[in-house]
Amino acid sequence: MIRRRFPWLSYLVVVAGAVLTVVPFLDMVMTSFKGPGESGTLPYRFLPEAFDLSNYRAAVDQLDMPALFRNSVAATALITGSVLLTSSLAGYALAKLRFPGRDFVFRLVLSTMMFPPFLFFIPHFLILVHWPLAGGNDLAGRGGAGLTVSIVALTVPFLVNGFGIFLTRQFVISIPDEVLEAARIDGAGEFAVWWRIVVPQTKPVLVTLGLLTFVDAWNEYIWALLVSTADPDVMTLPVGIQLLQDHVDPARTMPVVMAGLVLSILPVLVLFLLLQKYYIRGVILSGLK
Amino acid sequence: MVNALAPETTERTAGPRTAGPADGGRGRTRRLRRRQAAVAYLFLAPALLFFAAFLVLPLGFALLLSTSRWAGFDLGDIDPVGLDNFAGLFADGSTFLVPILTNTLLFALGTVVLALAGSVLVATCIDKLRFQGLWRTLYFLPIVTTVVAVGNVWKYMYEPGGLVNGVLNACGLGSVAFLQDPDTALPSVVVVQAWASAGTAILVLTAGLKSVPESYYEAAALDGAGPGTVFWRITLPLLRPSLLFVCITQFLTGLQSFALIIVMTKGGPGDATNVAALEMYRQAFSYGDWGTASAAAFVLFVVVLMVTLAQLWLFRRKGEDA
Repeated sequence: MIRRRFPWLSYLVVVAGAVLTVVPFLDMVMTSFKGPGESGTLPYRFLPEAFDLSNYRAAVDQLDMPALFRNSVAATALITGSVLLTSSLAGYALAKLRFPGRDFVFRLVLSTMMFPPFLFFIPHFLILVHWPLAGGNDLAGRGGAGLTVSIVALTVPFLVNGFGIFLTRQFVISIPDEVLEAARIDGAGEFAVWWRIVVPQTKPVLVTLGLLTFVDAWNEYIWALLVSTADPDVMTLPVGIQLLQDHVDPARTMPVVMAGLVLSILPVLVLFLLLQKYYIRGVILSGLK
Repeated sequence: MVNALAPETTERTAGPRTAGPADGGRGRTRRLRRRQAAVAYLFLAPALLFFAAFLVLPLGFALLLSTSRWAGFDLGDIDPVGLDNFAGLFADGSTFLVPILTNTLLFALGTVVLALAGSVLVATCIDKLRFQGLWRTLYFLPIVTTVVAVGNVWKYMYEPGGLVNGVLNACGLGSVAFLQDPDTALPSVVVVQAWASAGTAILVLTAGLKSVPESYYEAAALDGAGPGTVFWRITLPLLRPSLLFVCITQFLTGLQSFALIIVMTKGGPGDATNVAALEMYRQAFSYGDWGTASAAAFVLFVVVLMVTLAQLWLFRRKGEDA
């Protein structure tokens, strides 16, 4: 067997792969410490001459990092909260409540997963812009900016997630009916049953779903880019950093961009390291990513 | 289900003797059931309202746009043109089929081949090593990182003064203008996409390998099978379901990806790295041609749908075999 006879070969492959994976990140970190005129010059040098912290200072100032950070946090929190709440409520109803049309609703939820996100960029944007009686629009959706000019616009396409509902339902099903029935006999209403029994019992899957949603929302770029062309005040971290990258002399600002990127990926990295187990389970469960 | 019916049946058996309580019991069950239905729809309301407003309505709107010409201001000015937008995409001189749609397929296919080859190699090696958690964490870094970070770091590494050319120069080779040369631009972006998606593949494949019984390997060792034979005759066939899964899901992701391309090349040079989803995006948000953009979106959707259906068919057939 390859593992028994050539353990060093396995190590070689795995270490080489890990180096290939990590080196771009190290290059990003190293570049973020390089002084002006030190990056992009020939011949290439991996290490900075001196670890210069001024790029981080510059990133925070030039990018208006606090504002970007605030927008990213607000959008991510709204999306994650909404996905968790709607998935848990709908998942419980589909798993444990009996009502006419349940099979139809469940099939509908499943079918929502068939439609890829790119199909919705155009109609979502236009619907938000032309939303009647919002943002200065008249009843026919003319005249104003509609719903595009607030932090909510960043979140709208992501507030409910068919996969989240499906995932929660699969876990709620495994709660024994007797437990729910006992609570009902004790006089608990459905809302209390959901909050006191279903939510605590499904905590692991909610953490998994929350983490998947958080990482996706924090890293989202395309939609945030669209919305912030309508309203620069709602720019998120990825959009702001990319804008700096696009519009300023790359040779001089590259270290600043890299410093901004390091800062922007830190929150997700910390969260991932703390809750790896849940995130990895989510990726295996969803497969698609 | 049995539980909910239980009170009714007990009361029905008691029914003949005392008619009153039986009737009241049935009425109460019905009332309870009706209340449960109301609660269920209340719990589902946020999701269903969302799907109506941001799934069904947009799909209808996109379909309307794909068969219309519209300047994008007044909803009353939408001008139906039938299938003209679709015809335009495939007309002579249109760049949609070649190079854009071909690029899309090459991009997805290239990503799958590269990521799969790398991840099979790493996953089979990682399986019995120590510190698996550490390796997994390292391989996972790209997946939890924003596409803006991945794209910019690699774009910078591909520069003349960047890491990749630095390594080439150190080996005595000349620099390559990876993203500026139309011949190397698409493969260069494919490498990055594969690099970013290998972590997921490794994870799924490692999980698949865990389910291969150790006794198979022991039996093979007793029979004196070499490492190559073990890999081709045992590991790969037993890994087939995971491989198929990774293959198709990553192909689907690849067909739809364009964020990385926006960050790294914006589709250039020329149309060398332009893909269908990016073309849709540009037609809509750069040129305001909502009709052509929506038509392009639906063409890509049909491609994605066919791959999805093939996936469902493959997995269902596999289920029947088992």
